[in-house]
Amino acid sequence: MTTLATPQHMAVNTLNPMLPYWAEIIRIQPEAPGISTYWLRFLDSAVRQGFSFRPGQFNMVQVPGYGEAAISISSDPADRELIGHTIRHTGNVTQAISRMKVGDVLGVRGPFGTHWPIEQHPGADLVLGTGGIGLPPLRPVIYHIIRHRHDFGRVVLLYGARTPRDLQFQREFAEWEKGGIETMITVDRADESWQGLVGVVPILFYHLRVDPRKSVVLTCGPEIMIRFVVFEALARRIPSNRIYVSLERNMRCGLGMCGHCQLGPYFVCKDGPVFNFELLEPYVNLENL
Amino acid sequence: MTSDPKELRSALQTIPWFQEIDPNHFEQLCGVSRLLQVEAGDELFREGDKEEFMYIVLEGRVAIEIYVPGRGRMRIYTAEPMDIVGWSSVTPVVRQRTASARAVLPGRLVAMDAKALRRLCDEDHDLGYVVMRRLANVVASRLLVTRLQLIDMFAHPSQETEHE
Amino acid sequence: MNEILLEAGSVVAVQKGDFDSLLGAMNSLGYNLIGPAVRDDAIVYAPLFSSISLPQGYISEQDAGHYRLIYTGHGRYFDVTPGAQTWKQFLFPARAPLYTQQRKDGRWQIESHDDHPAYALIGVRPCELAAIQVQDRVFLQEAWSDPIYRHRRQRVFIVSVDCLHPCGTCFCDSIGTGPKTGPGFDLNLTEFDDLFLAEAGSETGKIVLSNVPYQPASAFLLQSARRGLADARKRMGRTLPDIDELPEALLGNLDHTHWDDVARRCLSCGNCTQVCPTCFCWDVQDSTDLQGTRSHRERIWDSCFNPDYSYIAGGNTRPDTRSRYRQWLTHKLASWKHQFDVLGCVGCGRCITWCPAGIDLTVEVAALRREFVK
Repeated sequence: MTTLATPQHMAVNTLNPMLPYWAEIIRIQPEAPGISTYWLRFLDSAVRQGFSFRPGQFNMVQVPGYGEAAISISSDPADRELIGHTIRHTGNVTQAISRMKVGDVLGVRGPFGTHWPIEQHPGADLVLGTGGIGLPPLRPVIYHIIRHRHDFGRVVLLYGARTPRDLQFQREFAEWEKGGIETMITVDRADESWQGLVGVVPILFYHLRVDPRKSVVLTCGPEIMIRFVVFEALARRIPSNRIYVSLERNMRCGLGMCGHCQLGPYFVCKDGPVFNFELLEPYVNLENL
Repeated sequence: MTSDPKELRSALQTIPWFQEIDPNHFEQLCGVSRLLQVEAGDELFREGDKEEFMYIVLEGRVAIEIYVPGRGRMRIYTAEPMDIVGWSSVTPVVRQRTASARAVLPGRLVAMDAKALRRLCDEDHDLGYVVMRRLANVVASRLLVTRLQLIDMFAHPSQETEHE
Repeated sequence: MNEILLEAGSVVAVQKGDFDSLLGAMNSLGYNLIGPAVRDDAIVYAPLFSSISLPQGYISEQDAGHYRLIYTGHGRYFDVTPGAQTWKQFLFPARAPLYTQQRKDGRWQIESHDDHPAYALIGVRPCELAAIQVQDRVFLQEAWSDPIYRHRRQRVFIVSVDCLHPCGTCFCDSIGTGPKTGPGFDLNLTEFDDLFLAEAGSETGKIVLSNVPYQPASAFLLQSARRGLADARKRMGRTLPDIDELPEALLGNLDHTHWDDVARRCLSCGNCTQVCPTCFCWDVQDSTDLQGTRSHRERIWDSCFNPDYSYIAGGNTRPDTRSRYRQWLTHKLASWKHQFDVLGCVGCGRCITWCPAGIDLTVEVAALRREFVK
């Protein structure tokens, strides 16, 4: 496998960008029913040392014989050795991954896509609105924020899930609070053992006082949730160009070359997955675009 | 329960919509209100109870629950500070509570006598309009929350109901 | 006879009788020749060995959902507008192996496939050359390029032919891609009954051309060619006006009622995407042997009309014909301009000819522009 055509920080061969780079499963961490994080380490030491990603980016992960799936990278970008991929087992490829064990090898290409551009907003108050499988793509940026905590004002994480047992990364919430991230957790419904909030993520805004002049919103999750989080943000006069959303579409190549992931004029794999909401505003109320 | 007027008055003044009403209406509402201290686990009302009070949460958290045979008590909403619990007692339809309310955290609430409040609204329509406007907002936001819960946006695809 | 120096832009006259020598010269340079041929009453692109197999004497009659090949007996090899096939099948094959993975000692090894023939594409019309150049922007990007396309494109030898007799569904003039061939060819021909005007566009083109006798092109011939092209411009079967305003006109009308109208007629069959020379969507199919030790990845053409094209976990973002047709048309004529700085359409008219429902995108665009719905 030649690395001549591999840019320093990527696991992509620019002359043959569909070739995978092999990575071993070092650890599997169950997060919630049907969701686990797979910690991968590249076999090739040059790739391992060079690979780096920015929060918000994704890899194309391959199971030989089954195909590839686009998986958001969910680990701390400062951890260069192990790259975390949080996977919900829904389709052919992700279900094949669920049958794999520590020591098995997966094919990886990436990182692809745009990142959460918080470096463009020094001093801003950050509101991270997410739920369900939307938290993993934000987790890298949470670690980045904690490491550069003084670059930002107030940082709040609004996080929701269907029921308490669907909450992911719960073991890390205390660490994040210590790092200066206020966490507001809610579930759609619960039983009496749940002492926290019951409601939906968008209305967590009702319990926040945001300063629209310096707030930046990052949101990721089911598109219906994103729509209502954005709705609440706009209702509080946060300008659309300070709202960032991460979207998902059918991705087959990650390169902007196969056509599948298009949304209006954009390729979600190349112009996204993180979009400045202002770019999406003309298309947001159209069905089936 | 306390009816110390000074404490009650300053507590009511912390509530945003109370800050916007005229002094005369404020006095009338004070007259039908009490302050209430609760411990975690205290029940405000049960399904089937007569609807006697409307509550405004000042501090703490109150869970709205419905008992589902076979599934136990389902927590379907939690009211946070400045949220209203038991609003239907002011515009009663079925004349009994359709859900239970229980304090999750220790806290303080304002309890308003529903019957007395209704009488005030009947006698002074200006006050009535203010109160109903406020309740309409509460109902609208609850409806939105309920609709979003109904959509079940975080359901795993295998959990979703068939569309076709 | 060949004392004239061949320079870029200089046009010479080659006798029809010498055409097979021209083909022979390409052959001896190692090219696999592909040219138009008649098969099953239609023009296809097939391996070319001599001028005998070329569709001399044919014209094609084309309209929405209508194609007829008619023999008139004229003396020209290439004077018939193309059929359903395009040249993209040679640079961007419909099925192509990406690589095979072999499991050995618990690790996977990759075997690449490096079968990239050197083709000489003969009879490429101006619209088709423009289409190849559109696909260049898709497959040869700054960040990365597709090796299959890159290898074939680097090796290909293009013999283009100016178009003097456009047909009923042509509108290359509206797009600016014809009827005169633009730059990018190796050899360009203008065909008359008994001779070709030939222009070399590259060093290889010069080498090939220098293998046959040629004369300087007379002023009369050059004038005839120019007049023929001017006539051709006036005889386009369709028009698509104001192409610079298309992106805004379409992306600003995504909720127009006309989309419902087209949706009632469109069968979502995907013919248009198959016959279009610029459509580039592809998918990957993975297969494995029974033991799971050897797996094969193959790239295949896909179409935005396929029901699963926009499938993601939990649903389909384009579940109906209306949204899929809208995607195809707005991509081709609007989004493409944002993505690749050029329109996706070259005005060849194939999508009009080969649509079983007879949908004509020039008519649909006109309708979308006419009634503006707020």
